[in-house]
Amino acid sequence: MAGNKPRVSSFSRNFTAASNTISQIPGLKHGPNGTMFLSSGILDLDKILGGGFTLGSLVMVMEDPEAPHHMLLIRNFMSQGLVHNQPLLYASPAKDPRGFLGTLPSPVFSKDEKSRDRDAEQEKGLRIAWQYKKYFDEQNSEFQRDEKSEYCNDFDLRKPLERHFYSGQQIDCIRLEDSADLTTFHDRCSSFLSQTPRNDRNITCPGRIAIQSLGAPQCDFSDKECNMLSFVRSLKNTIRSSNAVAVITFPPSLFSPSFSKRLQHLADTLVSVKAIPDEDKELAKLLTGYQDMVGLLSVHKVARINTQVPTILEATTFSMKLQKRRSLILECLNQAPIDGSSGISYASSGSCTGSSKTGALDF
Amino acid sequence: MESGRIANLTPGTSTRANLYKNLKDLNKLLLAIVELGKELVEDGKGRFAVAIDSVSEMLRHASIFSVAGLLSNLRSHSQVSCLFWLLHSDIHETKAIAALEYISSIQASSEPITRPINGQRANSEKLPFLEQNLRGGKIHIRFKRRNGRVRLMSEEFCIEQSGIKFTPISSEAEMIAQSLVPKVQFNLELSEKERNDRAKVVLPFEHQGNGKTIQIYDGRKSLNEDRAEIQYTSAEKVQTVTDSGRGEIIYFRDSDDEMPDSDEDPDDDLDI
Repeated sequence: MAGNKPRVSSFSRNFTAASNTISQIPGLKHGPNGTMFLSSGILDLDKILGGGFTLGSLVMVMEDPEAPHHMLLIRNFMSQGLVHNQPLLYASPAKDPRGFLGTLPSPVFSKDEKSRDRDAEQEKGLRIAWQYKKYFDEQNSEFQRDEKSEYCNDFDLRKPLERHFYSGQQIDCIRLEDSADLTTFHDRCSSFLSQTPRNDRNITCPGRIAIQSLGAPQCDFSDKECNMLSFVRSLKNTIRSSNAVAVITFPPSLFSPSFSKRLQHLADTLVSVKAIPDEDKELAKLLTGYQDMVGLLSVHKVARINTQVPTILEATTFSMKLQKRRSLILECLNQAPIDGSSGISYASSGSCTGSSKTGALDF
Repeated sequence: MESGRIANLTPGTSTRANLYKNLKDLNKLLLAIVELGKELVEDGKGRFAVAIDSVSEMLRHASIFSVAGLLSNLRSHSQVSCLFWLLHSDIHETKAIAALEYISSIQASSEPITRPINGQRANSEKLPFLEQNLRGGKIHIRFKRRNGRVRLMSEEFCIEQSGIKFTPISSEAEMIAQSLVPKVQFNLELSEKERNDRAKVVLPFEHQGNGKTIQIYDGRKSLNEDRAEIQYTSAEKVQTVTDSGRGEIIYFRDSDDEMPDSDEDPDDDLDI
């Protein structure tokens, strides 16, 4: 799995006493270049992105019309915010967005079971390479933290979130249909973001905005592309100066290619999900673990704020699997050697090393 | 809105026709559909299915967004069990088709079994094709499963007096025989010629010495006497490989009196 180490620059931020309180706020983590991270709710995604979603960034998810995987990302994102008591704004084209809160996954708190499982696996795996056990012990110590202050929770997708998490909270649920040309929605977002301003004095609780399916065909504004574009642009500007992260999912297949490209360029972090065919024998031969896969996730862009150095990931496409049908894990694709001349499209997009094997090997 | 009643066609079914003329306001249409449905089911609490003959017709009068809104509202209505609509995919722009595909969970497309290859045929020759197309065709289904995987199915159907019969695609259609060997970059199978050549290959140690026993110098001074002793004592460690009288390899284990290092390159004596 690609876990990139943050580049250490020769300048380092002098952490003041006020900033030390960040470590006491659950759900926030220091990142490189003076940024802070917020968890996405998916452990593997946090690792891939180098720590999580950068505070003040705009995350866009490109949907696949044939698969509901973007819902998994949104659900985990929202649940993580609710578990950490962070204010949340949720908008969707559905008639009753508040009902969606009942489908959010519940965090798994039985960490002992999880860490014991991992220990057992590692014990078995390291019989021969016993000398490496000392490196794994460092990882295990991370699990010994208190459940409340855990940065990223593991979510059980089969269990709904308990009511007390979202009954008393500041949660705004908005129907996108109500806003004819997005101005009212934009005002709601602005007022929400003014609750979490950014200043060095005191760090308030970070906020989360989740917008699902912006541009779905049910909404009137979906054909007014310039309106949507200016909305996203102004949202991005407002978010930059506040302590919040916005996740927007949109269906690029419904938009004109130029509009879709513009939206992609506006994003700080860009991720796309893709469906996979069911019972495809070719794909089963090509990829190991095909039986457990539910889809593919590609990371196109990773947010880099306060720096000009881009993040280059070792692998950009990951398979989404539901471990024990309950928690989402992302894995690097393991590919069987392919016949280069056949040029199967999944293989070329799913290569771990980023360069597909073309041409026969010469011995 | 006018309403009427049609005489019962088969016992047990009842039909009712409501004529609704105004397609500009689809919200009212939605309410009317839901109301009609509620009347159909017992005590207004059961579920009913909705079938829309031609969304293409609706799209002539209303925008794709209002039609999509109507469809998604119908779909999410608690009393609607399923929703089925038809569309002519070739007359709409791609955006409209994409929007409808987005909100649907199963897409089925039908096509004729055979298409005339040459479009310029005379009318009389086209008739058999038309007749065939009237009687049946192929149907392709994309089924979006809940876990996010897409299942593709294809079948042939033919329309008969009793109903519609579905059969799997006949072998005339493309069926490429798949070999069981996966496609890899290595050639895992041998052709006949390659098999013969393989049998003829002489393995390296087979021709060493050309029939005579060889002495492999291993850097020790008193070679001869050591070898004679070892030959008797470690008979069980000797390995010989004979291949149709070509040569012999006699191996002496020399780990007992091995010198710490040896300047000679042990590969000097190899004869491959």
